[in-house]
Amino acid sequence: MRDKLDIQATTRTPAVSFDFMQNHLKITGESYPEDVTEFYGPVFTALDSYLGKLGSGTCRFDFELIYLNSSSAKAIMMLMDKLDAAAKKGAAVDVYWYYDKEDDTMQELGEEFGEDLENAKFHLEKMPG
Amino acid sequence: MLASQLMDLRGMLHSQGVIFAYSGYVTEPVLSGVGEALKQKLTIDDADTKTLRSVFAVFVEQMQNIIRYSAEKAQPALAPASDPRALMEIRYGILTIGREGADYMVCAGNLVERSDVERLRAKLSRIRDMSKDELKALYKEQLRAEPEKGSKGAGLGFMEIARRASKPIEFDFTDVDATHAFFALKATI
Repeated sequence: MRDKLDIQATTRTPAVSFDFMQNHLKITGESYPEDVTEFYGPVFTALDSYLGKLGSGTCRFDFELIYLNSSSAKAIMMLMDKLDAAAKKGAAVDVYWYYDKEDDTMQELGEEFGEDLENAKFHLEKMPG
Repeated sequence: MLASQLMDLRGMLHSQGVIFAYSGYVTEPVLSGVGEALKQKLTIDDADTKTLRSVFAVFVEQMQNIIRYSAEKAQPALAPASDPRALMEIRYGILTIGREGADYMVCAGNLVERSDVERLRAKLSRIRDMSKDELKALYKEQLRAEPEKGSKGAGLGFMEIARRASKPIEFDFTDVDATHAFFALKATI
């Protein structure tokens, strides 16, 4: 397994910063890729490989998304499902959803994703600043 | 003559409050470029964050609908193997963004197959008549559902547009020829 997955942000894709050694994973920015599968495919692969070995370890995942289009929403749901499945298998998973306080759409979306988490612990927070 | 013709076209758009208009083949880089200019204009207008994000979100969904589903398309018969993108079809549509007082309107139009009109009309009527809570429930249901046959995304685009809009969405169809109709969708934010 790799130690890290680092993908720089572009105008249309978020920064991905998965620090597997520190068990701290983060997605930041805007997400409306030309091709959702092409962008999220490698992210899923890296996450699957990490979560497969997590066992009863701890993991923190931060979502700091300013905007996502409807096809990205599906990809985010799949990330949430993977995290929840790892928690069901015994990992201590904390999911943080940060939203811009000026945009309640992203707050609502976070709540909707959070409602579906049965095993991972969900935290809804305002973005600082 | 040339100047007055173009000036008339501009004047017609202007009189309807249109601040951006694109009519032609739409590609993902067009979406990126127009999207950046739109963000800049909204920032200059001093639109609040929620309005800016909502106008932009509706714009992205409307543009991607044209790119994926317009029934008017062009595709080269042969393209150099070195550039797989060159073989991709491009699709035609029209998109305008207008302003009326504090409201922004994002309108998109493209050809659709006449055989798809009733299905689209039923789907859009249902979404138009829903409350925000009903829309939220349907969105969640669709997020977990398998996309419909023929869908190239998550099947959430129209719902995302309706959720971001501040008024019910408006839509219309008009027959063009034996097999095609023109479809128009308007969202007010």
